[in-house]
Amino acid sequence: MKRTQRFGVCVLVLLFVVGTVFGAGSSEKAVVDSGAMEDKVTMYASITAIEPIIEAFSEKTGIVAENTRLSTSRFVSTVLTEFGAGKLMADVLQGPLPVMEILKEQGVISDYVSPAIENYPDWAKRDGIHLFGIEYVALIYNKDLVAPADVPKRYEDLCDPKWNNQIVMANPASHATTISWLVGLKENVFETEQQWYDFLHGLAANNPMFVASFSPTPAPIESGEKLIGISMPKYIVTKAPAPLAWAQVEQPLMGSPRAIAITADAPHPNAAKAFVDYWLSSEAMSLLAEEVGEYVLTSGVYPPIDGIENAEVIPIRELSDDELVKWGAEFEKIFE
Amino acid sequence: MAKVRHTNLTYLLIGILALLTLAPIVMLVIGSFSEGLRNVGKFTFEKYISVYSDPGLVDILGNTVMFVVGAALFSTILALFLAYLNNRTNIPWKFSFKVLSVVPMMIPHVLFSVSWALLLNPSNGILNLWLQQLFNLSNAPLNIYSIPGMILVEGLLDLPIAYLIISPAMASFDVSLEESSKVFGGGNLKTLFKITLPVLRPAILAAFILCVVRCLASFAVPSVLGMPGRVYVLSTYIYRTVNTGFIADYGKAAAIGMSILVVSISLIYVYRYMTRSSEKYVTVSSRGFKPVVIELKKAKIPLFIVVVLISFILIVLPVLVLLYTSLVPYSMVPSAKAFSMMDLNHWKTVLADPISLLSLKNSLFLGVVGATLGTLLSLFIAYVIVKVKTRTAGILEALSFLSFSFPGIVIGIGFMWFFIKTPLYATIWALLIGYVATYLPYGIRPMTSAFVQIHSHLEESSAVCGASLLTTMRRIVIPLLVPGIVSGWVLMATMFLRELSLSVVLSRPGTEVLAVQILRFSEDGLWGRLSALGIIMIFFSTLLVILANILGNRFKPAHD
Amino acid sequence: MEIHITALKKYYHSEGKVIKALDGVDLSIPANKIFTLLGPSGCGKTTLLRSIVGLETPDEGEIRIGDTIVWSSEKQIDVPTEKRGLGMVFQTYAIWPHMNVFNNVAYPLQNMKLPKAEIVSRVEKTLQFVQLEGFGSRPATRLSGGQQQRVALARALVAEPKVILFDEPLSNLDAKLREETRKELRTFLSELAITAVYVTHDRIEALALSDQIGVMKSGHIIEIGEPKKIYFDSEHQFVADFIGRSNLLPVTIENQGEAYTEVTSSIGDVLCARKEFPADSEITLCIRPEFVDLIKPGEKETLQNVFTGIMKTMVFVGEVYESEIQIGDQLIMVKVDPDSNVQEGDEVVVAIDPDHCLLVSR
Repeated sequence: MKRTQRFGVCVLVLLFVVGTVFGAGSSEKAVVDSGAMEDKVTMYASITAIEPIIEAFSEKTGIVAENTRLSTSRFVSTVLTEFGAGKLMADVLQGPLPVMEILKEQGVISDYVSPAIENYPDWAKRDGIHLFGIEYVALIYNKDLVAPADVPKRYEDLCDPKWNNQIVMANPASHATTISWLVGLKENVFETEQQWYDFLHGLAANNPMFVASFSPTPAPIESGEKLIGISMPKYIVTKAPAPLAWAQVEQPLMGSPRAIAITADAPHPNAAKAFVDYWLSSEAMSLLAEEVGEYVLTSGVYPPIDGIENAEVIPIRELSDDELVKWGAEFEKIFE
Repeated sequence: MAKVRHTNLTYLLIGILALLTLAPIVMLVIGSFSEGLRNVGKFTFEKYISVYSDPGLVDILGNTVMFVVGAALFSTILALFLAYLNNRTNIPWKFSFKVLSVVPMMIPHVLFSVSWALLLNPSNGILNLWLQQLFNLSNAPLNIYSIPGMILVEGLLDLPIAYLIISPAMASFDVSLEESSKVFGGGNLKTLFKITLPVLRPAILAAFILCVVRCLASFAVPSVLGMPGRVYVLSTYIYRTVNTGFIADYGKAAAIGMSILVVSISLIYVYRYMTRSSEKYVTVSSRGFKPVVIELKKAKIPLFIVVVLISFILIVLPVLVLLYTSLVPYSMVPSAKAFSMMDLNHWKTVLADPISLLSLKNSLFLGVVGATLGTLLSLFIAYVIVKVKTRTAGILEALSFLSFSFPGIVIGIGFMWFFIKTPLYATIWALLIGYVATYLPYGIRPMTSAFVQIHSHLEESSAVCGASLLTTMRRIVIPLLVPGIVSGWVLMATMFLRELSLSVVLSRPGTEVLAVQILRFSEDGLWGRLSALGIIMIFFSTLLVILANILGNRFKPAHD
Repeated sequence: MEIHITALKKYYHSEGKVIKALDGVDLSIPANKIFTLLGPSGCGKTTLLRSIVGLETPDEGEIRIGDTIVWSSEKQIDVPTEKRGLGMVFQTYAIWPHMNVFNNVAYPLQNMKLPKAEIVSRVEKTLQFVQLEGFGSRPATRLSGGQQQRVALARALVAEPKVILFDEPLSNLDAKLREETRKELRTFLSELAITAVYVTHDRIEALALSDQIGVMKSGHIIEIGEPKKIYFDSEHQFVADFIGRSNLLPVTIENQGEAYTEVTSSIGDVLCARKEFPADSEITLCIRPEFVDLIKPGEKETLQNVFTGIMKTMVFVGEVYESEIQIGDQLIMVKVDPDSNVQEGDEVVVAIDPDHCLLVSR
């Protein structure tokens, strides 16, 4: 037995040592945290490519801003898990409006209203949740391969058989933003439900290729595998010089509102306020529009996309998850 | 060795493993039975009812079985073929096999899938266009967005797992078994099928089962190639369950994952049952193992061409696609225009990005330290599994597969629910422990198949000579196991270097890793930067593999 | 050093059946002798050996080596193998293929943490002893079977243990090499003051090597004795049969004489070496073929136990004809001189020395 016991002891000692190292590591971290309380701000964001704003903020204020990208699907579960354990590391949360509202219900979000929200439309102000942009969706096409005359002028033009096997879109059975967008068409664009159904069936008849989300949509358009897609105009900026352009339809563009807020128990509350104030400033929003191609709600700031300033961009109604599932199933049937 | 001696060791290992792998699973089980979105809530069956009452589930299950069995068979057979050629025949350019076997381990699966889509998509896939021109076809002859396409790509991606398990076993095979078959009139082929393959059964089964488990949990291929072709399998079904709507319900995802878990664990018991008399397969004894090389004669050139072709598909093609993508400004089909637009912008951006560099550092740390700790733990576990063979050893083996067989998107959440209760949350150690716990089978499998082939007398005589268990391990077992250890280490290190599913859930500011950074690029559709970082990752993986082999060779017994 | 084994039990459970590998073995192995455990495969001899060395854990009982209890179920003692300080030669030799000869042999000394110089000199001495001097740097995989066997022996001897154990160490060698090695082994072991426990199923090996033989059958030691005693004067039919070719005839006792016991058998009445048996025990007469002598008809009167039969078969195996003679309805194995001119079918007269007519219990 002795041999095994000795071995057991060795392993236990090893575990203990490792444990102390871990412990030391985390207490060290705690010291750093309390010592540099307001030198730092942590953000969880679902929006991508925001490094320019973070850098500009750090440069301007001397506060180090850190960002963890959380995709929409992980956002609620991650934040709620950390919040429930009292370990929410984020001072600032940025996500789609529906997500932020769920978190607000759960008490994760503080009531802080930034003075910078004054420059925004009224509907962008929601007790502590600041809406600053719209994740706008449009028809994006390959301008090298699609003749100007062929570019759709209305959404219904996608039903033209010439687009058969030439369309790419996110999966309408599961991709929340695409589902909301399609429902948004019904509520904001088409006059009758029949017209909307005709559009859906026409689109389905053209056998679009499905991908998991928006991000894989531009690649097949750029490479010419497909000619047109339901995608986001911001790619025209981020993927330049790719031959992408947006179809300037007569109808409005739509998208889910993007929101930012401070957490209720933010570890760095003051830095967090400073960050959100800066984020909502015209300076930061111009960066977002110009560098990332985002559509922002600050008046007079537009992304550098040809013709976008003339477009009407409207927020779509937030669907509840039950509605999303219901419509997802409905679309699955239509598109099968 | 005496069984009683090992009881304590077995229980100790079960303790460690249970903590490592059971903790996240328990969290997921609780989650799957809890109401609401948090980990713990009121008890409910509702999540199970809702996911298992989906009428589409039958089709999904059918697709899953076809995909998983097809891909696992494909990789196992291909691995056998390559391992046989490498270890048993006089095929030229043997060094290429080592490279061949590991390179696909290092390529991010999403990227590999995307490059195949570029080659074989039915609209303008490069190979399809060629074939269309060549045979004057009106339609694309091949469609990658289909079950056969998925099997092809997943099979190629899992090839290294199968190869690294089968090859060491093939290498330490007692040749006299084959020789006696020939004496009794069996030709090369007959010997192969009647002797070599049956004797290698534990390794082959291990490879197959590991591939099945991996395919079940695989997400990249089903999402990149399956979804566009509207072929859904269980992992994409989970994705859909999680992603429809803004509030991802991981309890539901865990509920689906449970059935995958049950299948995987059953497979492991089947495997144990089928190889229960492992004594039969003890092949390395003290008589030494000199490989006997089979003359391929006329078959040499054709077989060589096949190998070159496979190498081309597995290594050259994806790396070329990556290199190409990292140089062109956006996704374009190769053309004169594309070549004229090439520049190093993506490389410059990536190399100047502090987070990319930090993630490289973190990933290297995780790869080296994680693989080393993981290999050490696997060594003891494999030892108990093979040499003790009691029921408790069976539990150990099943435990080691627990986290591994859970689909990645879900197990990450399980770890998060677990780590949040410890001080390790949001540290690099959480990633390290999660990696080791999840990918233990990568270490254990190659080592058990190597262990099976060490005659117990070799260790027993060490004990008689006064060596403690640890000395026996250090001086006898480990040196004999070097090929298995190198395989395990390489599998783990390259896996850890590109690990995504756990990292994406557990990494926080300061603990970014390569794959998460790559995902970030992919979510922005920045394929160029993604490819540049991908190549950097492959470069470092290759470095680790070369280092491991050099070290392995130094400790390897000199055979003459 | 003596080895004392008391009430040792080891049962294996497999597929619902219980296999009694050791069923209450009591055994004392004398110091500095070669003791052989002999028995058919599955009799428990290897389990016993492995229990002594500690590679197998018995269920019950006690094992004492010298004054040290190395294993006891009652006292809860279990000295691990590596602390028992024994030497062992395995059936497969278990030469580590990744080490050279020197390192294989030096291994026990290295585990004792001896100084390097001492290790070198002791390994050299031992290699010399087993006639492998100069082989130190040879990789273990490049040795012949006999050389491997000697490396294994050197490794077992190098630490000068008080007890050395052999698990069928010659079974992997060819016949000629086996015979030579057996002789060598005998010489090596008698030069050393060492207790050797040797396991084999080969009776010739057992007879040739041992000072004492313990015969095992289904988990029991049934008889212990010197080779001659086991061969000529065993107590049990099983032992008599196992240790050498013999004619076994069931008999009943007619008459207990002063010098001889008279029995009735299928070949008639036979005078046997005197032996006492309990009243109703079943008894077998054991006659070794070499003690059945062909005699000339004239010698009939002067000898006892004379029988007439027909020569049935004669097989020439070199030193003798292995033959069978039919006496009445019974076939009796006989060894016939190679220069004999008897032919198959001839009528022959044989005499059996009563001293070599062994009565054993069934």
